[in-house]
Amino acid sequence: MRYALRRLPVLVVTLWAAITLNFVLPRMMPGTPADAALGKIAGQGPVTASQRRAIEVMLGVPHGSLLSQYWQYLKAIAEGNFGISYTYFPEPVSKVIGAALPWTLALVGTSTVLAFTTGALLGVLAAWRRGSRLDSVATVGCTFMTAFPYFWTALLLLYALGFVLGWFPIRGGYSSSVSPGWDWTFAASALRHSVLPAFTILISGLGGWLLGMRNNMMGVLGEDYVTFAEANGLPARTVALRYAARNAVLPSATAFGMALGMVVGGSLLTEVVFGYPGIGYLLYNAVVNEDYPLMQALFLVITVSVLLANFVVDLLYGFLDPRVRR
Amino acid sequence: MAGTPGELGAAGGRRGDGVGGSAPGGSGAPGVGAPGTDGTSSGSGGRDGAVADPQPAAPVVEGEPGGHPQRTQQPLLFASGLDVVYEPAGAPVVHAVRGVDLSIDPGEMVGLVGESGCGKSTLGYALTRLLRPPARITAGRVVFDGRDVTALDQGRLRTMRHRGFAVVLQSGMNALNPVRTIDGHFADVLRTHRRVRGAAARQVAEELLGHVELAPTVLDRFPHELSGGMRQRVVIALALALQPKLVVFDEPTTALDVLVQRAVMDTIARLQAEVGFSALVISHDLGLVLGTADRAWVMYAGRIVERRESAALAGAPLHPYSAALLACHGDPTADNVQLGGIPGSPPDLSVPPQGCSFAPRCWMKEPVCRNDPPERVIGTGTVACHLAPRKLVVPRALEATVLASTAGGMGVGQNSTDGTATYDGRAALSAGPGPGASDGPALSPGAAAAPDGAAWAVRRRRSLERVEPEALVLQDVVKQFRTARRTGGRAGGRADGAWPGVGRARSSTVRAVDGVSLSLEPGHAVGLVGASGSGKTTLGRMMAGMDRPSSGTIRLGGLRVETMRSRDLPRYWQRVQMVFQDPYAGLNPVHTVGYAIGRALRNHQRLRDDRLRSELHRLLEVVGLTPSGQFSAKLPHQLSGGQRQRVVIARALAAKPQVLVADEPVSMLDVSLRAGILRLLDELRRDTGVSLLYITHDLLSARLVTDHLLVLQKGRVVESGPTASVLRSPSHSYTKQLIEAIPVVA
Ligand SMILES: Nc1ncnc2c1ncn2[C@@H]1O[C@H](COP(=O)(O)OP(=O)(O)O)[C@@H](O)[C@H]1O
Ligand code: SF4
Ligand SMILES: [Mg+2]
Repeated sequence: MRYALRRLPVLVVTLWAAITLNFVLPRMMPGTPADAALGKIAGQGPVTASQRRAIEVMLGVPHGSLLSQYWQYLKAIAEGNFGISYTYFPEPVSKVIGAALPWTLALVGTSTVLAFTTGALLGVLAAWRRGSRLDSVATVGCTFMTAFPYFWTALLLLYALGFVLGWFPIRGGYSSSVSPGWDWTFAASALRHSVLPAFTILISGLGGWLLGMRNNMMGVLGEDYVTFAEANGLPARTVALRYAARNAVLPSATAFGMALGMVVGGSLLTEVVFGYPGIGYLLYNAVVNEDYPLMQALFLVITVSVLLANFVVDLLYGFLDPRVRR
Repeated sequence: MAGTPGELGAAGGRRGDGVGGSAPGGSGAPGVGAPGTDGTSSGSGGRDGAVADPQPAAPVVEGEPGGHPQRTQQPLLFASGLDVVYEPAGAPVVHAVRGVDLSIDPGEMVGLVGESGCGKSTLGYALTRLLRPPARITAGRVVFDGRDVTALDQGRLRTMRHRGFAVVLQSGMNALNPVRTIDGHFADVLRTHRRVRGAAARQVAEELLGHVELAPTVLDRFPHELSGGMRQRVVIALALALQPKLVVFDEPTTALDVLVQRAVMDTIARLQAEVGFSALVISHDLGLVLGTADRAWVMYAGRIVERRESAALAGAPLHPYSAALLACHGDPTADNVQLGGIPGSPPDLSVPPQGCSFAPRCWMKEPVCRNDPPERVIGTGTVACHLAPRKLVVPRALEATVLASTAGGMGVGQNSTDGTATYDGRAALSAGPGPGASDGPALSPGAAAAPDGAAWAVRRRRSLERVEPEALVLQDVVKQFRTARRTGGRAGGRADGAWPGVGRARSSTVRAVDGVSLSLEPGHAVGLVGASGSGKTTLGRMMAGMDRPSSGTIRLGGLRVETMRSRDLPRYWQRVQMVFQDPYAGLNPVHTVGYAIGRALRNHQRLRDDRLRSELHRLLEVVGLTPSGQFSAKLPHQLSGGQRQRVVIARALAAKPQVLVADEPVSMLDVSLRAGILRLLDELRRDTGVSLLYITHDLLSARLVTDHLLVLQKGRVVESGPTASVLRSPSHSYTKQLIEAIPVVA
C-alpha cells in the first residue's frame, strides 16, 4: 500500500503533463484548428451555440487570457465535454468514443492478455523441456511468426478463413441483421466477428511473448536458486513454476505493461483491416477526415490509457518483486 | 588410469591413525549419527532424530565396492573411474573430470582444493547428480549408501535427496529465490520431504535456524534483506532440513567477508561434529580446507593428484602442485613471511593431456613425466607424480615470485612512526635475504633478488622516470551517505550476525568514513585493512579523486580534492591512479590490450605514433607481459585473470602516476596468481618511487607489500602503525579478530 502511494504522485504528474500537452498542441498549430473544425461542421448542419463554445474551449479560439482558457479546458475535460464530431455529425465526441471503447477493450484487451498468458506458459514449457521436440517446434515457429508482418497475417486470415472458406465474417463488429443489445443473437454475432481480428493479434503477439519468456527462463534456469531447489529434491513442478517461472516472468511483466498500454491505441491496423468499430478505426477515420475535435479527444484517451496501464503494471510489479517494494 | 583398487583402499584405510576431533573413530555407519544427534542439545528435540538416523544393517553395495580391502566399514559414498565432460554446442568437448576414484566415510570431513577451473565443482555436482547439459557423466559410477546414483531416474533421485545428500552452493548469495520469503523456502522443503506443514513446519524451520545461529524473525524476510553471511546460514539450514548423510559445500565462504567467512566455517565444523553428517568441502583456498577438514584432496586438471590427511599435507606435501599451492599461504604474523606463486595457469581441459598435466608448470619434470603418472600409495595417502616421494625443493624459477619480508628488516620500521624507515628496511630486503630468513619448507627468500627466467625479470634493471615527490595528505576526512531503506550485507559496517535491524533500517545518514587522517609519503606503501563495509573502498575512491569528501581535506601538492572542479580532475588523475578489484570488469571486452593502454598514454601523456608505441611496449614489459608485441594485440578474454590485472596496472601506469590506489587488486584472483601481482606492485614502488595505497582484507598480502598499516572499523581508524608491529602485536580487539579469522594451516 505504501508502495502504491509512493507511485501515485508520478501518475498524477504525468497525467497532468499529458492533459496540458493536449491543450497546448492545437493552440500551437498553424491556423486555428477550431475555426477549421467549425467551418467543416457548419457544412454538415446547424451548430448550436453551446456546441460551438465547446469546440472553441477545446481547440482554442483566443477568448480571454491563456490561463482562463486553460481553466475552461480543464473544466470541459472534467465534464467530458469534447465538442461534437464532424465525421459522426451531430454526435458529441464523448458519445462516439464511449461507443467505440468497449469494442476495443473487449477485442484487443482480451486477445492481448490471452497472447501473453499462452505465450508465456508455452515459453516456460519450452525452456523447461529445452531441446525437446516441443521446444524446437515452438522456437522455430515463433521466430517465423514474429518475423511475419502483422498486417500480412491479418490479410492472410481474412482471405483464407473469411473470403475463401467463408467461416467467419470479414468486416465489422456484428452482423447488420442484428441490433446491438444484451441478447444471445447479438453476442454470438459479435463473437463470430471478433474471431479473425482476435486471431491476428494473438498470432502476432504470442510468438514474441513465447520467445521472450523462453529466453528469460533459460537465464533463470542457470541461477543458483534453481539448482539449489533441485538439489533439495523439490518436485519438478514447484521448481519450474515457483522458482524458475516466477522469476522469469519479471522482465516480461514490464513489457506486458507496455502492451496493455497500447491496447487502446495500438490496434489501428487490425481494426481498419477488419472494419472493426473500435478506437483504432475511429482514429483512422478522424485522421482521414481531419476531424480535429475527435482526434484531440482520442489522443487524450490513448495517452491516459497508456499511463494508467503503466501505473497498474508498476503496482503489479511491486507485488511480484519484493526487491522493488520498500 | 588413476588409482587401482589397492591404492584407493589405502586412501580410505588411513582412518586408523587418529583423525583428531570430530571423527567418531570408524565404528560403522549406524553408530555415527546417533550420538551426535543427542549431542545437539540446543533445542533440537523436535527434529526427529536430526540428520543421520540409525540405518538398518550395513548397506548392501551393488557390485564390489571399488576395492576397499582394509576398510573396517563401508564408505558412505564412493566413486570409481568417474569421467565427466562438457559438450557445449559449437565448442570443443571439455574433459572436466578424468577417471576419479574416491570414497568418503560416514561422519568424516573431506576437503577438495585446486585452482579454479580444475573441475572441483563439476566433481561435486557429479557426485550429487546435479550436472545439467551440456555436462554428462561418460564413465564410472557413484555409489551412495549402497545405491548407484548415476543410474537413478529423476523421480527416485528426488526422494533420495531426503536423508541422502545435500548441497550448499557457492556462498549462498544467489541460492535463495529472490521473490520467496525464507519461510517459503523452508515450507517447500519440509512439505516435500517431511510432510510437515503450517505451524509445525514453521516450528521445525525455527529450530533449524537456531542451529545456524539465526533468529526466528529471519523467516519473514526476503533473501535480499539478509546479509551474505546470513543467507549462507539459511542455505545451510535448508540443507540440514533434508537430514542429509552427506553435505557437499561448494566454495561455501568464497564471496563472504573475512570475519563472516570464519564464523560460517566454524558453524559448518560444529554442525558436522554435532550432527554427524559427512562433508565434502570444496574450496580454492587450501588454508581454509586444511584448517577444517580431516582429509584433503588436491585436484588438478580433472584428476585428484594428492590425497592426504590435512596435517600431513600441510607438513610435507608430496605433489609439486600441492607444495606450490601451500606456498601461496602464510602466517602474516610470523617473523619471516614468504609468498609463493605458480607461473602459468591450469591447462585447457579440451585438449587431451600428454603425460602429466602439471608438467608445463612443474619445475621438477623429467623425461618420465611424458607418461601419465600413476596414483601411488605413500604412507596413508596417495599421490599422482612420477617422482614422489622425492623431497620437494622449490626451485629458482618459482622463487621469482617469492616476496620476502623478514622480521629483521621490519625492525627498522618499528622504530619509526612515519613509514620512511620501513621503506628503507624494505629496500634493504629486496637486495638480499634478511637475517635468519629460512624457515618453512618452501621458498628461499634470497630469490627476491634474482628472479631469473621470470617474465618480469627483464625490466628490473630499467627504471621509470622519477616524479616530483609529493605526499598525499588526508586530514579529518569524512564521507556521509544517505542510506536507502535497505540493509544489505555491506551497509553500515555490520558484517554478519546480529539480526535486530535486519532490512528495516530507517533512511538515515551513514558515516562510511569518519574522520580519517593519514599521510602517504612518496615511495611509501600504506595498507588499509578491515572487514567489508568498514569504509576502505570509500576512502580509496576519495583519495583517487573519484568522490569528494563530505568534510576534511585531501591534498596532493597544490591539488585539493575537496574543492576541485571537474575540469581539474584529469590533472589529479594523472597523478593518482586507481586499480580496481575486478580485473574482468575493468577492461572493455572489444578493445585490445594495446588500444586500452595506448588510449591512456594518449590522454595522459599526449604521446603519438612511434613514441606511443615504444612506451606501450615498455609498459607491457614493466608489468611482465612479454613478448609485448604479442600481448598488445590480445583481447581481454584471451587473457587470464592475472594477466588482465597486469594490463589494468599497466594502464594505470600510463599516466605516470605518483600515487597508485589499489583496491583489493588480488582478491578476485586465484592464490597462485597473487604473488606475481603483489610482487609487481612492490617492485613498482621501489623502482619508480610511486606511492601505494593498498586496500585489502587479506593481512598476509598487506604484510608483504606495505610498510604502514591502518585498520579501519566502521569508518574509523582503530589502529595504525608499522605493518609488522601492528600485525604481530595488535592492540585493538578488532585487529585481533581479523588476525584470528585467518585459517591456520597445519
Ligand atoms: N557449462 C560449461 N560448458 C563448458 N565447459 C564448462 C562448463 N562449466 C564448466 N566448464 C569447464 O569445466 C572445467 C571445470 O570447471 P569447474 O568444475 O567449474 O572447476 P572448479 O570448480 O574447479 O573451478 C573448466 O575447464 C570449465 O571451463
Ligand atoms: S609427474 Fe613430473 S611433471 Fe608431473 S608433477 Fe610429478 S614431477 Fe612434475
Ligand atoms: Mg567451482
